[in-house]
Amino acid sequence: MTNTGMRAGMVPIGRRLRAYFAPVDRETGKATPFDPAKHGVFLLDAPPTPWIDLGWIENFARRSGTLVEPLRAGTRGAVSGQYRGELEALVEFDFREWGKVQMALSGGSEHMNVLAADPNADAQASGGSALPAVGVLPGSSAVELVVGAGAVGSFSKGDLVAVDVDYQQQSGYVGSAIAGAYVSDPVNVKHDIDFVRRVTFSVGRVAETTSTSLLLAQPLPAGAPVLGAAVQRVVAFVDREGGAFFQEWSALFVLEAESGGRVCFYYPRLTPCGQKASDDQRETISEISAPIHSIALHATFRALAVKDENDSALALYYRSYFPAATASVY
Amino acid sequence: MQFAKDSFYVAMRERLASLNPGRTIERNGSTRPAIIVAENELPNTGARFSDTFYVEFGEARPVKTGFVPPLMSMECFFWYQTHGDGESCIDRGRKLGQLDLELLNMCHPSYAAKRNFLQSPSVDLGSGIFWSGPVLEGAKERDRLDGGGRKIERWARLILYFYAEVSA
Repeated sequence: MTNTGMRAGMVPIGRRLRAYFAPVDRETGKATPFDPAKHGVFLLDAPPTPWIDLGWIENFARRSGTLVEPLRAGTRGAVSGQYRGELEALVEFDFREWGKVQMALSGGSEHMNVLAADPNADAQASGGSALPAVGVLPGSSAVELVVGAGAVGSFSKGDLVAVDVDYQQQSGYVGSAIAGAYVSDPVNVKHDIDFVRRVTFSVGRVAETTSTSLLLAQPLPAGAPVLGAAVQRVVAFVDREGGAFFQEWSALFVLEAESGGRVCFYYPRLTPCGQKASDDQRETISEISAPIHSIALHATFRALAVKDENDSALALYYRSYFPAATASVY
Repeated sequence: MQFAKDSFYVAMRERLASLNPGRTIERNGSTRPAIIVAENELPNTGARFSDTFYVEFGEARPVKTGFVPPLMSMECFFWYQTHGDGESCIDRGRKLGQLDLELLNMCHPSYAAKRNFLQSPSVDLGSGIFWSGPVLEGAKERDRLDGGGRKIERWARLILYFYAEVSA
């Protein structure tokens, strides 16, 4: 029997896409792998480490800019074959949820944690001189910061905090586990001892305090604090148009399959780009019921190439499909 | 269609049992989650329970051409009532709110596997069922009860989608 229509189980049906991002090692350029065999069928609320759940996204659009050119031969210039020229792929969407990582990816450049400032400090658009940091003691983890009985009183339930090492006047990428900026000259950052904590992705919210510790509502994205880390209160997040740094992350987008089957889009290396496939909007306004609107973070990315170790081919992204149970294979 | 209705009911029942294990009814000598498919009840069943979800199914129609088997949509209604815990029924609105919240949570995530429950253990039929977000209609106060209190009731509705069990 031949079916002329679309067969049940072979039509991915969903209403939402979920975005997960994981850091790229900026020193080595190594992406976070997504192996469909190992990681493909994870629960959407519990992505495999180190993928960070960035929530539901909308207006997802993938575009291929890869050139496929004809190969002509003979006096008539007949096409005898074709070849792939320049590889390029863009992807854009709206983050429905705002957060540290979502803002950084939407903004594309350095993303600042506005540290709680000395009231007498000069006003700065990305935050002035900060109140002193509190050292994080051994025994801390990604969800518990041990600061000692004396220092714990400096924090309250509900506080946002940034946790990372003091800036050591080095040049290069800064930020533990996840690069938050690139410092070309310590003079540029005014030798600020707090600079790493200004840009670190190691942020969290204090859910509870104990006699000696801060218990966090979510694990620190960068994992357990490294030796020598310190913690400071954060009052807001800031990004800006400008800067020299480019965010670079591995990305995974999963279609929440409601009719069975799962579709995943994996980009090993994705970096925000100014080239908008649609227009120049930075935020997307979505009407709920006039005059009430929601504001989404618009993000546009260019895919960077990686070498597929199985056949040494260059690739920009991977699309994987996990057929529904009992679905026809073709 | 029956598999879709059964699968939807079982998904709602299991989720309700997980969300609020205490929301149960006594029926035919057994205790079970307080959710009932009205069309599966005896015709001479008396007054409806309070604090219990009743499920009814409405119109079904194909929503997309070209699918084999056809993708169908079906209206699905929830009805529930409460008179609260106190003698004065003054908490009936809050109790209704609890039922509303449970319904919203039962409906999330908005999909489930379609299974054949005529066999034991049930068999995965391969395609899923999924549904729209529930719309809660206005709550309605019922006539004054003998004890002087009032009941309050609500209808909620959603659209259930599924592949019809027909041969290609």
